[in-house]
Amino acid sequence: MIRRILSFAAAAALLLAPQSATAGWKAIAQGKPIAVAKTGLTVTAPSGVWNRWSLRPSKKSELWTKDGLALNELAFYSGVTSGEPIFREVDKKNSPLPKFNSKMLAPDVVALFEASNRIALKTSLFSVDSVEPAQFVGQPGVRFTFTYSVQNNDLVRKGEARAAVLRGQLYMITFIAPSIYYFDNGIADARAIMDSAVLLPVAAK
Amino acid sequence: MLAVSSLLAGSMVPQSSAAPGQEASPPVTQAAYVPKDKDERGLWMMADEEERQLRTSNFVIRDPAINAYVRDVLCRTIGQAECAPIRLYVVRTPYFNATSAPNGMIQVWSGLFLRVRNEAQLAAVLAHEYVHYRDRHFLLLWRELRARAGSATFLSMFGLIGSLVAMGQLSTVFSFSRDQESAADSGAVYMLANAGYDTRESALVWGQIRDEADATAAARQAKSRKDKNGGIFATHPPTADRMTALFALSEKVKANGEPVNGVDRYHAMLATLWPSLIDDQIKLNDLGATEFLLASLAGGTWTADLLYARGETYRARGAAGDFEKAAGFYREAMAQAPANPEVRRGLGLSLLRLDSADEGREQLKEYLRLKPDAVDAPMIRMLAGG
Repeated sequence: MIRRILSFAAAAALLLAPQSATAGWKAIAQGKPIAVAKTGLTVTAPSGVWNRWSLRPSKKSELWTKDGLALNELAFYSGVTSGEPIFREVDKKNSPLPKFNSKMLAPDVVALFEASNRIALKTSLFSVDSVEPAQFVGQPGVRFTFTYSVQNNDLVRKGEARAAVLRGQLYMITFIAPSIYYFDNGIADARAIMDSAVLLPVAAK
Repeated sequence: MLAVSSLLAGSMVPQSSAAPGQEASPPVTQAAYVPKDKDERGLWMMADEEERQLRTSNFVIRDPAINAYVRDVLCRTIGQAECAPIRLYVVRTPYFNATSAPNGMIQVWSGLFLRVRNEAQLAAVLAHEYVHYRDRHFLLLWRELRARAGSATFLSMFGLIGSLVAMGQLSTVFSFSRDQESAADSGAVYMLANAGYDTRESALVWGQIRDEADATAAARQAKSRKDKNGGIFATHPPTADRMTALFALSEKVKANGEPVNGVDRYHAMLATLWPSLIDDQIKLNDLGATEFLLASLAGGTWTADLLYARGETYRARGAAGDFEKAAGFYREAMAQAPANPEVRRGLGLSLLRLDSADEGREQLKEYLRLKPDAVDAPMIRMLAGG
C-alpha cells in the first residue's frame, strides 16, 4: 500500500505545489456524519481517533488513518463509473490498470480490486481469503477479506472491504493494516464506519 | 540455498581438507573468492545485507524440486566448481528477469519460467548473470560511475554547456554498462557451447520477448514498446542489437556433437509450477502477452489448464465479445476436465454476464458441489440462487 500512496504523494507534490502548504491531516469529529471524497458517501466514525488526508489519491477516493497510513489505512471509493480504474493510473503505458464496469458481479469487483492492487503494488503475493454477501450503503453488496505483502518489505498486511454497485457506480470502503496487532486493533472501528455508510444526495453548490 | 551464511563464513576462513591423523594434503577445491579491496568489500557488504533479507522473504519459492533443477542447470552450464559458491533464489515476481549481486547471489524471477521455452534458454540467462559476477562487473561499473559522476558534478557548475558535457559524461557510464551486458551475453554463449547446449537459443529468447511486446501492443491497440530501452541512458543494449549479436556469435560458437535444448526436461520440471505462474500473469491485465505466452506453452496442444487460463484472461478483460470467447474456452476445458471446479465457476460467471442466467446458475451450483469449502462459496451460493 505504501508504494501506492507514495506515488500519489509524489505526483500530487509535483502537480499541486502551490496548494501543498494547505495539504495535511484533519481530525474526524466523533459521532458526526461526514461526507467523504466530496460525494454523497457519508459515514460516521464511532471514535475520535481518525484523521483524513487532504491529499486525495483520486477525485473519487479519500484516505483516513489512525496512526499513519502504513499502520492503518481506511480508503473510500465513491462513485467510480464504467471505464474508470479504481486507483489513479501511474504507468498507463506499461502497466494500465483494469477498469470498472457497471455490469460487474460481486466476484468481478473483488477480482478488479485484486488485479488493481497486484499491478499498483507490483506484487504476486496477494490472496483473497473470503467473499460473502453483505449490505452496504443500504444495498445488497459484498464483503471480502484479503492478505498481501509487497516485495522488499515482507510485512504481511490484512484487509477487509465492503462494496456495492449502485446506479451503475462503484462504492467501496477498504481497511488495510499489518496483520500483527494493527489489523485487530482497528477492524472494529472500521466495520462500524462501513456499517454507518449511507449515500446522501449531494447538496447543490 | 539455505547454506548461504556458512558458505560466506567459510569463504573468509582458510579451509583445511586434512582428515584426522593424516598429513595435510593440498586442498582439492579452489578457495572461494573473497573481496579484494575497500570498494569491493563495501559492495559485498550491501549485497550481503540484501541477501539476508531475501533469505527469509515470503517471495522466495522454496519448492525443493524447482530449486534443485535450476541449480543443476546453472552448475551444468558454468561448471561444478564455479557454481559451488553461488546462491540461487527463485523469486515470485511475474516478469522476465534475473539479477546477480557482487557477492554471488543470483535471483531468478518466476515470470522468466513462462517466457523461456527450454533448458538451453534458461541456461543462457543463468550463465549471463554468472558472467556479471565472475567478471566483477558491479565493481567496475561502480568505479566508472564514481569517476564520471565526480567530473559531471564539477562540470555542471558551468551552466548549460557544462551540463551538456556532464550528460555526455554520464552517458558513457551507461554505455559502459551496455558493454558489460554484451560481454555477459557473449560469455554465456561460450558456456552454453561447453555444456553441449544449442547456442542459438540465447538469441531466440530475445526474439520471444520482442514478439511478446508486439502481442501486448496489438491487444492494447498501441505502438509496440519492444525497442524502448531508454536510449543513451539505458543500462542494457536494445534487444534487437542483442539478438543480432547473439545470432552472429552462435553461428561461430557451437557445442561439440549434436547440440541439445533440453525442452522435455524443462517441461517435465516446470509443468507443476505453471498454473500458479499463469494465475499471476492473468492478473496483470495484459491480455495480448498472456495469450502469447499461453499459446507458446500450449505449442498446439491446448490442455484443460491452458484453456481455463484463456477463459480467465478474456473474462477478466470483459470487453465486447470477451465473455462469449471465455465461455467457449471454459467449455473446451470442461470437455477435458469435467471435475475441475474453477472451470465451472468461470463458465457460470461468464454466462451470468451473457444473460444465460439459468445455465450460469447451474454451473455455479456445480462449482459449489465440487468445491463446497471455496473461499467465495457464500457469495457464489447467492449468485447461484441459493
